[in-house]
Amino acid sequence: MRNSWIIAQRELWERIGSRSFLVMALIGPLLVLSMTYLLFVLGGNEQQQWKVLIADPKEIMDNKIMSNKDRAVEYSFIAKYVEIEEFANDPQYKSFDALIEVNEKVLTNKVGFVFYREKPSMNMSINLRYHVERRLEEILAEEFTDLSQADFRKIKQPLTLNFHNVYDPTDSASDLGGWVGLFFGAVIFVFIFLFGMTILRSVSREKSNRIVELLVSTVHPRTLMLGKIIGIGLAAFLQFLLWLTVIAIGLYFMRETIFVDLYDASNITAANASQDYNEFVELVFSRIQYTNMLLYFFLFFTVGYLFYGAFFAALGAVTGSESDGQQFLLPLIALLLFALYAGYYALNNPDSSLTTFYHYFPFTSPVVVMVKLATGYGEGQGYTLYISLIILLLSAFVVLAIAGRLYKNGLLQFGHAVRLRQIIQWLKMK
Amino acid sequence: MLEVQQLTKRFQRKAALDNVSLSLRTGEIFGLLGPNGAGKTTLIRVINRIVEPDSGHVRFKGDLLQQKHLLSIGYLPEERGLYRNMTVEAHALFLGMLRGMTKNDARQALQYWLERFDIQDWRKKRIDELSKGMAQKVQFICAVLHEPELLILDEPFSGFDPVNVELIKQELIEMKAKGKTILISTHNMKSVEEICDRVALIHQSKKIMEGSVTALQESAKTGEYAVKFRGSMIAFVNALWTGFELIDKEILGDDRFVARVKMRGDNNFEDLLRTLIGQVKIEAAWEVLPSMQELFIEAVSEKQTGTTEA
Repeated sequence: MRNSWIIAQRELWERIGSRSFLVMALIGPLLVLSMTYLLFVLGGNEQQQWKVLIADPKEIMDNKIMSNKDRAVEYSFIAKYVEIEEFANDPQYKSFDALIEVNEKVLTNKVGFVFYREKPSMNMSINLRYHVERRLEEILAEEFTDLSQADFRKIKQPLTLNFHNVYDPTDSASDLGGWVGLFFGAVIFVFIFLFGMTILRSVSREKSNRIVELLVSTVHPRTLMLGKIIGIGLAAFLQFLLWLTVIAIGLYFMRETIFVDLYDASNITAANASQDYNEFVELVFSRIQYTNMLLYFFLFFTVGYLFYGAFFAALGAVTGSESDGQQFLLPLIALLLFALYAGYYALNNPDSSLTTFYHYFPFTSPVVVMVKLATGYGEGQGYTLYISLIILLLSAFVVLAIAGRLYKNGLLQFGHAVRLRQIIQWLKMK
Repeated sequence: MLEVQQLTKRFQRKAALDNVSLSLRTGEIFGLLGPNGAGKTTLIRVINRIVEPDSGHVRFKGDLLQQKHLLSIGYLPEERGLYRNMTVEAHALFLGMLRGMTKNDARQALQYWLERFDIQDWRKKRIDELSKGMAQKVQFICAVLHEPELLILDEPFSGFDPVNVELIKQELIEMKAKGKTILISTHNMKSVEEICDRVALIHQSKKIMEGSVTALQESAKTGEYAVKFRGSMIAFVNALWTGFELIDKEILGDDRFVARVKMRGDNNFEDLLRTLIGQVKIEAAWEVLPSMQELFIEAVSEKQTGTTEA
């Protein structure tokens, strides 16, 4: 282990000392920040005018809700249940763009339902949630506590509004939160790809400049491989921390300067507040559970990196030259892209059995778990995350063992073209 | 010090080592000779535990060779490389630490070698700033930094100019004097004669010869003598008459020659000298021993003929 650590340190310092590491540490987060800024700005520009019917059979809301100054939403109340099909087809409801169902449970479970004819814009979704939530806060604060509405807001639980297409209520496509999960998953895979390629290049460079013979005469090839994966992994980790720091500072700066109005406390607590919210801003600044997301991000990033890193290391070891092995790199990249697709699929089909499979499948689990984390696991389903992590961890060990064998047997073979038959032979060798 | 016992290693169907046994004694320089592709590098890789043999053992100081013994071995591979973007110091510390040294010890040892080769100003130089020969020197330093008991050098003189070849040779002789054992694989037969105590010749994956350099030369000598003289070649030939046979001659100048002579009948070296004194001016005379180069070529071609005939 001492030697693995010495090798890891060398790899780490080599990466940190390289210009590309610093360039990536600056350009990466700046790119993310620019994209975030654009989404902040564009997210607030979309205007929709909606007529919304609130079905409130118990008259919980007492026919009251604050509406926009600019009348982006016009609310009507009805004191009975409206069946979805009825709302979809009955001519008397045709003029309404959406139906919000506020049943008697909403005060306890904080879950409401929105059935829309056309998918609401980001802005409209947040407006609806904001309006309903504020009204419910008033009611809850009044009826159940002696607190002021401002104090109540500090301890309240957020309202979940589930959006469904009225013509296809089973379509449970997720909201923006899921995209955040996909974004985190994508970051995992971008890092795995970038630093996986670094492993591959590092191994094949050691082969082509022949220093590898000196190294394996001192340390076991597995030790060498592990040291390399750990060292480059640490560099990736450090790179991510740099990203995180720059992005955090950037977001803080945006919040304090550019988007300051949205977070002015007086705007939020004022009874007549009609702040036009940008969902993305709120999402980024207050709805993402960063601690939770980052904790699992690091866990799945680490294990996912070990899993994929072993493939890259083995590929580097079996190639005959630095330019060789492209035909085996392609399937690996395809797998990484497939994992991203699986994340997108999970976002749109959160409850399908294929999503469940992707959630456990080690090639796709890091990104799918991130999506599931962002959209929320169902009641009592949280443990599946750990099953997925354990499967990924065990798979990583298996792949590391196989890669170790290929590494050992392929490392001192030079100048050949990689063939599958040859790889199988190396796998069978002692 | 090192016992190689009946090593066999095959790559796919081709034998790289076929039942090879060797023995290295403490404090000797052992030459491993053989044409390209004979199996020398495979043998060295087995000794360094880079390649596992199919059968046979390697013993280091009586024990079966294990990973821990590698700390007592220094290795300079034939195809050597360095990390081009690292400094000489970083490189030496990295490899020294991998061989079990502490950072401090490695730094001190590096200081010793840089001073010894008078290259202190290389310490902070990056490898890609060094010439090939300079890099070779750094590689040699990295191989000996941890003061190994056994030093294995694969073609250690390739890439060095004559001055540095001599420098490395002197280092090796000095290390031998300190009790270190050195295994050299080389094609440089002159160096073998100069510094090796014993050699083994490997050909077509088999060991075909082993022994001390002198004993091998003695056993292969053909009774030839060389005489370096000043005078007339005709007078020299006339003096030989029927008692000796002129095999070859080398003209050094107008009246200076080196003649190679074989005895006839019961004549010996003293008889030859007696015959020549007074006829030519003898400058030197010696018994001709086959060079390692000749022994090598003879052994390899014999084996090849044998193989062809078989």
